[in-house]
Amino acid sequence: MTTHQFLTSAWEANPLVIALCVVVLVIYGWRIRFSARSGFLIAGLVLSALVLVSPVDALANGYLFSAHMLQHLVLLLVVPPLILLSLGGSSVVKRLAGRAISPMAILTCWLAGLGAMWIWHVPSLCSAATQSPAIHRVQYVSLLAMGTMFWWPILAPRREQRISPFAGIAYLFSACLGCTVLGIILTFAPLGACPAYLSPSDRLGILALIRDGWGFTPEKDQQLGGLLMWVPACMVYLAGIISQLVRWYGESAEEPGEVPIRVLLERMS
Amino acid sequence: MSESIAKVPHDESLEHGLLGWVGTIDHKRIGILYLVTTLGFFLIGGVEALLIRIQLARPENNFLSPEVYNQIFTMHGTTMIFLVVMPALIGFANYFIPLMIGARDMAFPRLNAMSYWLLLFGGLLLHFSLVAGGAPSAGWFTYAPLSETPFSSTKGTDYWVLALLVMGVGSVASAINIIATVLTLRAPGLTIRRLPLFVWMVFVNSILIILAMPALNASIVMLLIDRQLDAHFFLPANGGSALIWQHFFWTFGHPEVYIMALPAFGMISEVIPVFSRKPIFGYEFVAASTVAISILSFGVWAHHMFAVGLGYQGNLFFAASSMLIAIPTGVKIFNWIATMWGGSIRFTTAMLFAMAFLVEFVIGGLSGVMFAVAPIDWALTDSYFVVAHFHYVLFGGTLFAMMAGTYYWFPKMSGRMLSEKWGRVQFLLLLVGFNMTFFVQHFLGMMGMPRRVFTYPDLPYWGALNMISTVGAFIMGAGMLVLVGNIVMSLLRGERAGDNPWNAWTLEWATTSPPPEHNFDRVPPVQGRRPLWDLANPDKADWKFKKVEGGDPSFGKNRTCMFSFLVSEAVFFIMLILSYLYFNSGKFGGPTASSSLDAFKTGIYTICLLASSFTIWLAEKYHHRKQFAAFRGWLVVTILLGVVFMAGQGAEYVGLFDRGITVSTNLFATSFFTLTGFHGLHVCVGLVALAILLGLAMARDGAKMIAPALGTIGLYWHFVDVVWIVVFSVVYLKILS
Repeated sequence: MTTHQFLTSAWEANPLVIALCVVVLVIYGWRIRFSARSGFLIAGLVLSALVLVSPVDALANGYLFSAHMLQHLVLLLVVPPLILLSLGGSSVVKRLAGRAISPMAILTCWLAGLGAMWIWHVPSLCSAATQSPAIHRVQYVSLLAMGTMFWWPILAPRREQRISPFAGIAYLFSACLGCTVLGIILTFAPLGACPAYLSPSDRLGILALIRDGWGFTPEKDQQLGGLLMWVPACMVYLAGIISQLVRWYGESAEEPGEVPIRVLLERMS
Repeated sequence: MSESIAKVPHDESLEHGLLGWVGTIDHKRIGILYLVTTLGFFLIGGVEALLIRIQLARPENNFLSPEVYNQIFTMHGTTMIFLVVMPALIGFANYFIPLMIGARDMAFPRLNAMSYWLLLFGGLLLHFSLVAGGAPSAGWFTYAPLSETPFSSTKGTDYWVLALLVMGVGSVASAINIIATVLTLRAPGLTIRRLPLFVWMVFVNSILIILAMPALNASIVMLLIDRQLDAHFFLPANGGSALIWQHFFWTFGHPEVYIMALPAFGMISEVIPVFSRKPIFGYEFVAASTVAISILSFGVWAHHMFAVGLGYQGNLFFAASSMLIAIPTGVKIFNWIATMWGGSIRFTTAMLFAMAFLVEFVIGGLSGVMFAVAPIDWALTDSYFVVAHFHYVLFGGTLFAMMAGTYYWFPKMSGRMLSEKWGRVQFLLLLVGFNMTFFVQHFLGMMGMPRRVFTYPDLPYWGALNMISTVGAFIMGAGMLVLVGNIVMSLLRGERAGDNPWNAWTLEWATTSPPPEHNFDRVPPVQGRRPLWDLANPDKADWKFKKVEGGDPSFGKNRTCMFSFLVSEAVFFIMLILSYLYFNSGKFGGPTASSSLDAFKTGIYTICLLASSFTIWLAEKYHHRKQFAAFRGWLVVTILLGVVFMAGQGAEYVGLFDRGITVSTNLFATSFFTLTGFHGLHVCVGLVALAILLGLAMARDGAKMIAPALGTIGLYWHFVDVVWIVVFSVVYLKILS
């Protein structure tokens, strides 16, 4: 099979995924109503669908550790913030009760985000998820759920529940550190971080393409997976930190006669 | 704020003349001590540089033997980085941060003094090696295995390690002090978002220091264990990895170069607005880009290792992140230029240096970004192109910025103006000399001349370019001598400076030159980023045009100090744990964790240690409720549990020694003893601290007196336990194999 053939044929329209996306869209449109910020929701749903039905998913299912890593990073670090951003400020959310978030809750959310990463990279759990479809679904759901928990203190729909930008920077930076350490371990660890990927069963007949055509040996594959978790993931946290800084400085500066930046930011997020 | 004023002790040393300087805890005196000391080391490092240039002036020269040459360039690099640039920036920070935030002194004045003396004695320890068998000679980053005993048999490298450990403690202590000071001692109205940029950048820099120094400490401690205890962390012949040295060192080394740049950026951000008579353009961008640079600096270290064989993918990721880091720096450059644009520029010496900084730093930065492109790096690494690059950013960049800071702030520190005429002479000498020395080195590098060679063959133009470089170096030397002369003459006969000779706007100019011991008779009201401007121009005050508000969270001094320290220790332990994981993955001979460790027995001792966390929490709870007898009781239990844990560790160690398993047996043993040994050391330190607390608490009103310290030590104790949980899981339970 050639790369082009693979890319055009390996899409698997998973009915469960499509159905869920539609359901989410319907509930959102009915309860929260569409507005400019729904763009975030669309982006989030499109990304999750892409990552779950496109060739990336085919590769992640037992062929390439790095593809599985890409999938997970998107589901844990990119989709949840987009979903949360789409919820902010809407009238429904305002009506929900909300108090300021407690330190214990903040710690729990932080541990959820980091825990999701570390737990699923225990070699036995990683292999189990790759080989058993049921555990695999649990994995997906857990990533989305724990990702949402992680981003809650930063992007909670109700502003009272968000932590101060100063604390947000510390929160994101420490999480970045935890992610980086795991990425470093995976990049330099000897083969076998996720044993199921060492000798994939060739359901789609593309093993030759991967090994010879693209040059992906198991070592390179694991190294790439580690690097993805190390560098690009860090960029996501960095973007979060920059947005906290923008919010922090923007909150403080006001020029008379202009719409306060604070209000602008509020409208945007 | 007033409670901190009441608590800072009166500096009695001020009444004892010259001897008073030895005992001082006043941040201004300590700042001056730092600056004078670093000037001295700068002259030593400069002489070393001139010796290098003399040797390299002609091809096949024999002025210095190869062994001596190696020692000289190693000392030159080590001196300039650790004994000049870093401490000088800390010296300026020490002097000016309390003044710029309207405080009376640093948060921990005695810790401040300790940091200075650690610098001085660390420097002396390093230079002692010259009379104790030879200076270190493996380059300032002492790559393994060259730095290991088989290849570096004199004690020079050991002195290097010990001196760096001593100075490193000082640097981390200064950084913690700065963080605590900036977060807790700001004058009313001076919110974090109104901080002068020098203060903000030094603050962010301090966080960088506490995160990066532990990586250095871990590396050099491992090197010392290799050299002194016959271990093999970095010796490939016995299963170690020379590559790990590079990774660990550059994890420190890259943030280190930003540690040397950020305070300089801060100085420039003060000087340029004042001498352009305009507020800084895009304050928020400069401030935010500082944070971005700090974070990114931890993600680019492998660009020092492109030529080492990381593989195509690794190189790609690090090339991309290294190119990214140029963006926030570029943002700053544009902001400084935009500040000057349309301003009314005063070409004082400080401003001349600041403008030259912009040009030289951009040149250095551009050659740096060139190195981010891995194939270019393969051609030019370890050549004189690299030498040119880092001298442009460190000398043309940081040192020029420090010159700007010197001319700007000398009047405040001494009450005298430096001679502008001689300042211009120095500037010209430095500008011409510096570019002459280092610009030609770009060409030498491209022509293939490697760095760290004691001589070179008579290839076309090599001799001529090297000679030009040498002449330039001497011109630079002359320039620095002019500065020393300027300082001396100005102290003796200089024109008296008033409170605010430059008409600047930040708080340090709101008091006399030099400031009195207590800094301020009265701190001006702060409603914006330029308090003195607002005071002098009430109708055109900044806050009438743009309000900078914002409440800040409040921080406790002790808690902040302990938190910063624990963050630093956490990085140290992460490095040791990573090295344990690295050396225990894969197969090797000799004892392993499974064959020699008893997880069950250690598990029991672990439970004792974890219980002690619970008991100290109880002790704190009873102390809070003023039930002091119960408090003392639970404190005793905590100490006992800690002692039991140490006894267990000791018994385990003895058992291992009996079976012939020592530090040098194999890499499992080495990494095991290093990791658990350092943890045990931390437990012992904790026990000593708890014992001191208990002792103090036994006195009549003692229990109440130790209240501020109790929570802080408790935090430390919990940290030690958390580290043990991780170590136990990784080493005994092997959860990550």
